[in-house]
Amino acid sequence: MLQLINISKRFGPVAALDNVTLSLRRGAIHGILGENGAGKSTLMNILFGLAHPDTGKIELDGRRVRIVSPVRAQRLGIGMVHQHFKMVESLTVLENISLAAARGLWSPGRRELIGRIRAWTDKLHWNLDLEKPVADLAVGRRQRVEIVKALCTGGKLLILDEPTAVLTPQEVAELIPPLRAVAAAGMTVLFISHKLAEVQKLCDRITILRKGRVVYTGAINELDAGQIAEKMIGARLKFPRLTDHQEQPDNAPRRDSGELAPPRLELRNVSIRGSRHGAWPLLNVNLSVRSGEIHGIAGVDGNGQDFLIRCILGQLEPADGNVIFGDSPDSHRKTPGTRSGTPLGYIPEDRLREALVLPLSVQANLMLKRYHTSPFAWMGLCRFGRWRQRSAELIGQFDIRCPDAQTPVGTLSGGNQQKVVVARELGEKPRLILAVNPTRGLDVGASAFVMNQLLAARREGAAILLVHSDLDELLAISDRVSVLYNGQLQETSWPDASREQIGKMMLGIA
Amino acid sequence: MMTTFHSSSPLRRHAGRFSRLISAVALLPLTIGTCGLALGLVLSGLALAGYPPLAIVSRWVDGSIGGIYPLTNSLADACPLLLTGLAAGIAFRGGVLNIGAQGQFLLGAMVTVGLSTRWLIFHSAPPVIILAILAGTFAGGLWALLASVLERYRSVPIVLSTILLNFVALYVVRAILQGPLQAGGTPAPQSPQIAPAYWLPVFIPFTSFHLGIPIAFVLAVLFYALNQRTTFGFESLVIGLNPGAARLAGIRVTRKQFLVMFMSGCCAGLGGALQVLGVTHFMTGSFGNYGYAGIAVALLGRLNPLGIAGAALFFGMLDTGALRVEESSLALPHAVVNVVKAVVILLMLLLSAYLLGRKLRTRQVDPSPPGDRGSDKL
Amino acid sequence: MNPAHENLLTFLARQTVSAATPLILAGIGELVSELAGVIDIGIEGLMLTGCIAAYTIAGATGHGSLGLATAILAGMAVAALFAATTISGRADQIVSGTALNLLALGLSGTIWSLYQNWRGNHDLSTALPHGAGYSRLAVGALARLPFFGPVFFDQYSLFYATVLLAAMVWGIIRFTRMGLILRALGDSPQACQACGIAVRTWRWLAVLFAGGCAGAAGAYLSIMRTHAFATDMTGGQGFVVLALVIFGRWSMGGLILGCLFFGAINSLQQTLQTARYTSHYAALHALQSVPFEVFQMLPYVAALAALAVLSRNHPGPHRLGRPWPEEISL
Repeated sequence: MLQLINISKRFGPVAALDNVTLSLRRGAIHGILGENGAGKSTLMNILFGLAHPDTGKIELDGRRVRIVSPVRAQRLGIGMVHQHFKMVESLTVLENISLAAARGLWSPGRRELIGRIRAWTDKLHWNLDLEKPVADLAVGRRQRVEIVKALCTGGKLLILDEPTAVLTPQEVAELIPPLRAVAAAGMTVLFISHKLAEVQKLCDRITILRKGRVVYTGAINELDAGQIAEKMIGARLKFPRLTDHQEQPDNAPRRDSGELAPPRLELRNVSIRGSRHGAWPLLNVNLSVRSGEIHGIAGVDGNGQDFLIRCILGQLEPADGNVIFGDSPDSHRKTPGTRSGTPLGYIPEDRLREALVLPLSVQANLMLKRYHTSPFAWMGLCRFGRWRQRSAELIGQFDIRCPDAQTPVGTLSGGNQQKVVVARELGEKPRLILAVNPTRGLDVGASAFVMNQLLAARREGAAILLVHSDLDELLAISDRVSVLYNGQLQETSWPDASREQIGKMMLGIA
Repeated sequence: MMTTFHSSSPLRRHAGRFSRLISAVALLPLTIGTCGLALGLVLSGLALAGYPPLAIVSRWVDGSIGGIYPLTNSLADACPLLLTGLAAGIAFRGGVLNIGAQGQFLLGAMVTVGLSTRWLIFHSAPPVIILAILAGTFAGGLWALLASVLERYRSVPIVLSTILLNFVALYVVRAILQGPLQAGGTPAPQSPQIAPAYWLPVFIPFTSFHLGIPIAFVLAVLFYALNQRTTFGFESLVIGLNPGAARLAGIRVTRKQFLVMFMSGCCAGLGGALQVLGVTHFMTGSFGNYGYAGIAVALLGRLNPLGIAGAALFFGMLDTGALRVEESSLALPHAVVNVVKAVVILLMLLLSAYLLGRKLRTRQVDPSPPGDRGSDKL
Repeated sequence: MNPAHENLLTFLARQTVSAATPLILAGIGELVSELAGVIDIGIEGLMLTGCIAAYTIAGATGHGSLGLATAILAGMAVAALFAATTISGRADQIVSGTALNLLALGLSGTIWSLYQNWRGNHDLSTALPHGAGYSRLAVGALARLPFFGPVFFDQYSLFYATVLLAAMVWGIIRFTRMGLILRALGDSPQACQACGIAVRTWRWLAVLFAGGCAGAAGAYLSIMRTHAFATDMTGGQGFVVLALVIFGRWSMGGLILGCLFFGAINSLQQTLQTARYTSHYAALHALQSVPFEVFQMLPYVAALAALAVLSRNHPGPHRLGRPWPEEISL
C-alpha cells in the first residue's frame, strides 16, 4: 500500500536516514524497531509531513505522493499518534478531534464528527466522554483520544510513535486488541517502539533501523529476541543489556545483610493537600532511604511523583507529617531547595529546564551548585582558576566529551549533557541522591553510564532515591522498590515480588 | 585569558527570554552595521521627502561632535541615557522585565529637586548634593520595588505594572510640581530653580561637562565588573537564562530578582537626580523620555554595560546633533531621532533573528519540538 | 453638544461609552492576538499610528473615510513589522513591542511636523479642517429614546461597527472552528502543528487583525472623538488595554465590562477637568479641591488595582509570549 523508496535525510553532517526503503501492506501491523537516534522519529516525521526527505520518493497505492505538510498527510489518509501527546488541554475531547479532523474555518462539524468517532469507538469497544476537557483525563485515556483522533483524520495508515512509553504493562496489554481491530478494519498500523516484548506480541512484520539504515525487514517470527536486539544495537554493547535484571553489572547483594544503616532521608506520614477541595496528591506517605541502598519508586507518571519530589526538595510544604534529613530530626526545614549546603544530589527529569543553562559553558554548568562556596569564590568574587581546575577534573572523571570547558553545554549531545548533570550532582559525593527518570531520552550507552554512576555512588555509601517510570531499569538497580499509586506509597517485597505483581500495584489492582 | 560565563555562540534552546541578546554580545560588527543601516534607511527616506541627506549629515556631525560644546552636550545627553540604559540592562539580564525606568527616572528627579530647593537647605553645599542624589536614587529603587512586590504577592506581571506605574509616577510628579513644589508666579507644573551652589560641579567652564558624566561611566565599568567577575553577576545571569535551573541550584531567585529590580530602579533614579542637578536645574511636568529611550539603549548595547555606554553615546550624539539640524534652515523635525532609534532596534532584532536563525537552520538536527512541560511566561 | 442641555448622568454615560469605544476596539484586536499566543505591547504605538494616519489623510483630502481606511492600513503595516520580528524572526515580543512604541512615537512626531510644514501652519493649531472629521450618526428614532438614545444611538459610526465586530468576534471564538484554532494557538502550538494548522500564518493574521483594530481605534481618537491631534494623544490607553485584556480574563464580556469601567473613570476625569473652568454641573464642584492629576492618575491606578485583585490564578493562554517554534535545536 505505502512504499518508501531510497529515502535519505541529513541534518548537517549527520545522516538521520540513509537510503531507507520500506514497504507496508494493507491491514498489517508493522513494527519499526531501533534505539534512540536510529532515525525512527525522523522517518515518522517524513511520513507525516513534518520533515521532508532530501532524496527518495514515497508511493501510496502505486502513485507517487509528496507529503509536504501534516495537512497533506491527513488528506492522504495518514494519522499519527505522537509520543508526546499533541492536545490542547483546555479544550474538550470533541474540540480537540474537531481541530484535527474537521476542515474549513466555520463549522466545527460536531454532528458529523460524533458519528465518525462513535463508529470507531464502537469497533474498539472504547467509551469516550466527548465533552470532558482533556486536562481532566488520565494518561491512558488521553492516548485513546489521540488514537481516535488519528483514526478520524487518517483512514488508511495509523502511525503510533512509542505509544507504550507512558503506559503500565497492563495498559499495554489492553492496547493490543483495539489495534488488531484497527488492522482488521483494513488499516495499516505502523508501530514504533524500542521495547521488544510488545513488538513481538503485536506486530506481523518488523523493520529494524540502526543509525539511519534499515538492517532488517521481514516477518517478526523469523528472528528471536536475541537476534533482534543484536541487530538493533549492533556490536557496541554486550547483550543482555544492563536493564535485564537477571544480570546485574554490580554483583553486590540486593539487601545489606546485618544491621541496617540509619536512614538519610525519611518521610513520616507526609500528606499534601491538592488545589481542589478534598484532593490529596500525596496521602500518608512513609518512606526511608538508607545509606548504601537504592530505593526505587515505581509508578505510572502522574500518580504523585511530582508532589513527592517537590516535597523532598522543599518546594512544597506538607500539610501533615515530616520530611527528615540525615541524623537531625528537626532539620526538615533545611531543605535542599535552599542553599543550606545539604549535600543532596538531584538529577531532575527535565534536565534542559531544571538542571542546565544551555547557553552557558560546560564549566559554568558544572559549577552551578558550588560557585559561591570556598574555594571557588572569595568575598563574592569568582575565582575562575579554581573553576577551570575543578571542571577539568570532573570532565575527565565523568568522561564528558566536549571540545573544551568553555563550550556551551547546549551544543553537546543529550548523553553528554546528562553527564554534565551527573558530574555536577554526584561529583561532590553527596550522601543523599534523588534521581528522577535519569535515563529519559538517552540511548542505551548513555543510560548504562548513568545507571553505573548511580551504582557506584551506592557502593560509596550514598542513599539513593530513584523515581523512574521505566520499570525494567528501575528493577535492575533497586534494592528496595515501592509503588506510588494515586498518591499512596506502598512498599513491595521486591525482589521476592514479581515484575507482574508490581505492574498490578502500579495500576492499583493488587 | 579572561574567562566569561557565557560564550558567544548563538545558542538558545530552552533558554530564557533574553538569551539571544545576551549570547550575541560578541556581535559588535553586526551592531555597528545595524546602526549604519538604520541611519542610511532613515536618510534615504528623508531624501525622498526632499531633505538633502549630505547637508543633514554634515550638520548632524557638526552639532554632535564638532567642537567642545557639541561634544560635551552629547556627553551630557548620554549620561541619563546611560543610566536608564543600565537600569534596563541590569534588569533584563537578570530576567526582570523592568519597563518602568521612565517612572523611576521621574521620581528620582523630583525627589532630588524637592530636597535641593525646598526641603533640605544647609549652608554648605556638598551634604545637600550628596543627600539629594542618594534620596533620588533610592526613590527610583523603591518605586521599582513596588512592581516587584506586586508581582511577588499579587502575581501582577512586572511588564504591565511597570508600564502602568510610569503613568502613575508621571501624574504624581505633576501633582507635586503643581502643589508643594510649584515655583511661584506660574500656573504650570514647574519647580523652582535649584540654587547654583547646589549644582553639580562642571569641569570645563561654560560647558555641560558635569560631575555626573564620569560618575555614570564609572558606574558602567563597575557593573561590567559585577557582571563578569562576581558571584552575584553569575547568579543574575543564570536566573535570566533559566530561572528553573537557578532555583534548583539553590539560588534564591525571588530575593535576587528583588535586589536586581532595586538596583535597576536606583540606576534610573540616579539618572534623574544627576539630570536635574547637572543639566536642567529645575523640573517641569514633561521631563524627557529618557526612561523609554533607555530600553532601546540597553538593547542596542546588548545588555552589556560597556555596550550600553557605547549605545548611550550614540544616542546622545543623535539627539544633540538633531537639535542642530532642527535649528538650521533644514528645519528637520527632532522626532526623526526617535525614528532612527526605533529603526535601529527593530533592524537589530530582525537581523540577529534572521542571520542567527539561518546559521542555526543549517545545523538543525531534530525538527520535532520537545515536550510541552511547564512554562515561564511574561 | 453643549453639556448644559443634558442631565449629568446621561452626559457621563454617553461620554463613558464614547471613551470606552477605542479601548474596546483595540481590546478586541489584542484579545485575538493574545489568544493566538502573541502579546502585543506595541498596541499603544499602533493606536498612535492610527491617530496620525487618520488625521493627516483626513486633513489633506478632506475625507474622513479615507483617513479611517488609511489608519487601518497603517496599523496593519506597523503590525506587520512586529509580526516579522516576533513571529517570523522569533524575537522577543515584549522587546519588539517596546521598540514598536518608540517607532510610532518617532514616526507620528515626524509626520506631524512634516504635515504642519506642508500646510504652512505655523501657529500649531491642532484642529482638523472643518468637515474632514466624522460627526455623530444618530440612528433614526432610536436616538430620541430617553437616556438610551443619546448614550447608545447617537454615537460615531465606528461605535456601531465596534459593537458589531465585538459580537462577531465573540461568536467566532465561541462557535466556529476558527475560534477553536485561535484558542489552540495560544495554548498548544504543538498540537496545532500536529493538526496541520500553520501556526505562524495564523499568528500573522491575528497580529495583523490586532493592528487594524488598533489603527481604527487611533482614528476614532483623532478624527471622531476630538478632531485634533497631539503627539501624546493616546496617553497610555494602549497599555490600559493590555491590562484590561488580563482583567477580562481573556473573554470578550470581561473585556467590554473592563473597558466601560475605564471609560467611566476617564469621562468623569475629563468632565471634572472641564468643569474646573466652566460652571456647569454644580454637583461636581465639591470634587474640585482635589488636584486633577489625581483623576488623570485614576485609570492607571485602577488598572493596577484590578490586576492585583484579579490576576492570580488566571494564567491566560498557556504559551502567551513564546515564539514558535519554541526552541531551535543545535
